Amino acid sequence: MQAYIQGRNVNLTFRPPNRGPVRALQNFDIDIGEGEFLSIVGPSGCGKSTFLNVLLGLIRPDSGDIRMDGKPLAGPGTDRAMVFQEFGLLPWRTVQHNVELGLELKGMAGEARRQVSQPLIEMIGLAGFEGHFPHELSGGMKQRVGLARALATDPNVLLMDEPFAALDAQTRDLMQVELLRIWQTAKKTVLFVTHQIDEAIYLSDRVMVMTKRPGRAKKIFKIDLPRPRDYEMRVTPEFNELKLEIWNELKDEITV
Amino acid sequence: MTDTRALKANIAAASDLDAPARSLWHRLEPPILGISGILVLLLLWEALPRIITMNAGTKLFFTTPSQIVGTLWRLFSTGAIWTPLGVSASGFALGLALAIVVGIPLGVLIGRSRTLNAMLDPFVTAFNATPRLVFLPLVMLWFGLGLWTKVVIVFVGAVFPLLINTYEGVRNADKTLINVVRSFGASEWDVARLVVVPNAMPYIIAGLRLAIGRAVLGVVVAEFFGSESGLGVMMVQAAGRYQVDVVFSGLIVFAALSLAMTALVQMLEARLSRWRPQQAGGE
Amino acid sequence: MSDEAAPRQSFTDKHRKVLLGFLAVAMFIAAWQAAFLFVPFNKLFISKPDLIWNALIDLIVSGDLLRDLAVSAAPFLYGFSAAVIVGVPLGVVMGWRAPVRYTLDPIMTIFYASPLVALAPLVIVFFGVGVSGKAIIIFVLSVFPFIFNAQAGVRAIDPLLINVVRSLGGSERDLYLKVLIPGVLPYIVAGARIAVGRGLIGILVGEFFAASEGIGYAIARFGDLFALDKMFACILAIMVIAVVLTEGIRWAERAAFPWRVGQ
Repeated sequence: MQAYIQGRNVNLTFRPPNRGPVRALQNFDIDIGEGEFLSIVGPSGCGKSTFLNVLLGLIRPDSGDIRMDGKPLAGPGTDRAMVFQEFGLLPWRTVQHNVELGLELKGMAGEARRQVSQPLIEMIGLAGFEGHFPHELSGGMKQRVGLARALATDPNVLLMDEPFAALDAQTRDLMQVELLRIWQTAKKTVLFVTHQIDEAIYLSDRVMVMTKRPGRAKKIFKIDLPRPRDYEMRVTPEFNELKLEIWNELKDEITV
Repeated sequence: MTDTRALKANIAAASDLDAPARSLWHRLEPPILGISGILVLLLLWEALPRIITMNAGTKLFFTTPSQIVGTLWRLFSTGAIWTPLGVSASGFALGLALAIVVGIPLGVLIGRSRTLNAMLDPFVTAFNATPRLVFLPLVMLWFGLGLWTKVVIVFVGAVFPLLINTYEGVRNADKTLINVVRSFGASEWDVARLVVVPNAMPYIIAGLRLAIGRAVLGVVVAEFFGSESGLGVMMVQAAGRYQVDVVFSGLIVFAALSLAMTALVQMLEARLSRWRPQQAGGE
Repeated sequence: MSDEAAPRQSFTDKHRKVLLGFLAVAMFIAAWQAAFLFVPFNKLFISKPDLIWNALIDLIVSGDLLRDLAVSAAPFLYGFSAAVIVGVPLGVVMGWRAPVRYTLDPIMTIFYASPLVALAPLVIVFFGVGVSGKAIIIFVLSVFPFIFNAQAGVRAIDPLLINVVRSLGGSERDLYLKVLIPGVLPYIVAGARIAVGRGLIGILVGEFFAASEGIGYAIARFGDLFALDKMFACILAIMVIAVVLTEGIRWAERAAFPWRVGQ
């Protein structure tokens, strides 16, 4: 049976000018179930963000087969949306207009857009900030706007590229809780890239460890912790065992 | 982010070489000194002929602020100034408008296409470095002494700051933002509209300021040599007749024109910049 | 596991930008020359690359070009040097001492905003068409970039650095040598780059008016004589000089102050 998102033998080599070619992905396979929360951890440069961009449709792989819901990928589409590490909010637009960006590009009219964006802004807890500009917001708030924007087009798949890496540790923890809360309600398929093992375990159904560059799937761990997950689970023995196992797989791939 | 700014301000305050106390005087000091400076200069200038005796030759050339003001008043009240001013202003406006219409889109094109940029770079560099004035005799040969010579000189002067600054602004577009917008299915046109142009706006405004200055220079210079009518022509003729007060009047009018345009641009910039964090600027 | 051996970058890839530039210029010259195969050539109205080239050689060989340039260069150098000598110290003082800045800045701004070129006729009428008149025009036009840039350079100096040097036991002299001058120098050089352009305008304005010699006068004269080829040749000469000076300073800025991203 085919997984909801399936990648087989994906290869991608970057050829930057003035430098040698860089093999980002080599024979990369992946299966993601519908509604699943899958995290990818791996060393820097292993290609995890690259694969996200491939799924998003911004980069085409050199070879390999990628299908979503049985159909091959064809460029960016509103069935997938990305949340970026650097937030990527348009600084010259208000919170509301940032959230509505995808809807605008879909050709939705103003009033219709508002119907979608307003409840989303409330859901992420930023009611009252619709008219603010990004520079007036804190990092956590900006990322919440990024999340709302991604959810606005009602995609089936959320791609999250180290979305909390730019936040301080405390905000990060809170955002993880928020993300799970929103995910439980919205029921999207999520592919989450991170460096932090804690974060991966806490959030996901499964965690994939990638090799260093060129990246391949090294090992996949099933996270059997019950949902909904609360913060106390992070200090349980099961959690720490998982963390150690994953770390052992990961540390061979990291060169300092 | 606000914390770092406050910290820097504190350091600056603590080690400010003049370290005045944060008092009422401190806030009023800049405008008071500034206005006094101007007043002193004007008074000295006014008083000079009464203090020093000048030989006849110099006396012919000397004018005082009061005379200038009187002449300005005369020029405006008799209406003598409006025709030349109109001629100059239309040359200025037309040339500047053309520069905007050509310079900004071209700047966007060059910014987006590395090939085009590489090919046009030698020309832009050469023309930007060269004083436009050097083309005046040629332009006069081609266009005569009428409006078009003015327009061409103004255009050539104003188009390059606009072109170059637009280019810089476009080049500076945040790649992340472009990717973000693309990921939501934006076309190239959308990318330009949503990311590239808004991002380039501050640069374009800066270019516009530069262009205005150069446009005024262009009008003045074109009218000195290559025109039959206009404010600059009036000034040159006055200079030949030793009517120094008229020359200064003309200068003041040009300066006022330049300041007025710049103020307009600044208002435009303020409206377009509400999304920017307010810099804790200096004075 | 390791990257494949990097393919050698071809010569064309590495120097793409410069090559494209050359190509564009060559295409332009070729198109200009070839245009007259289709359009009638009126030598009173325009010239062609081959004619311009010949005229340029003529002018160089006969010494006329160099003589005219030399005549124009003298007032330029005087005026420009005076601008540096007056402008930089004034700008530094304005940047260093706030009261001076508060007093003089409005005056300077007014001067800078006015098209001072407009006073050129007056200067010429008063001082005559010789070196002094031109030098004064050039001085007036090129002094302001130095004043403003020197001022900006001083004000941009991080007060933290001053504290660092003081806390390490530095004297006033050390402050000047180790903090002030290296800090201000890039700004001054950038100011020179701008001032060069304005100074060149000064020469041309002075000479167009009523000079009897100099490169500006040459251009005007050739125009009157409808010697378009020589006129273009002189214009080309000035363009080359302007580019060499401006880009040369820019290059020197990059080499000497690599930590500054240029203005």
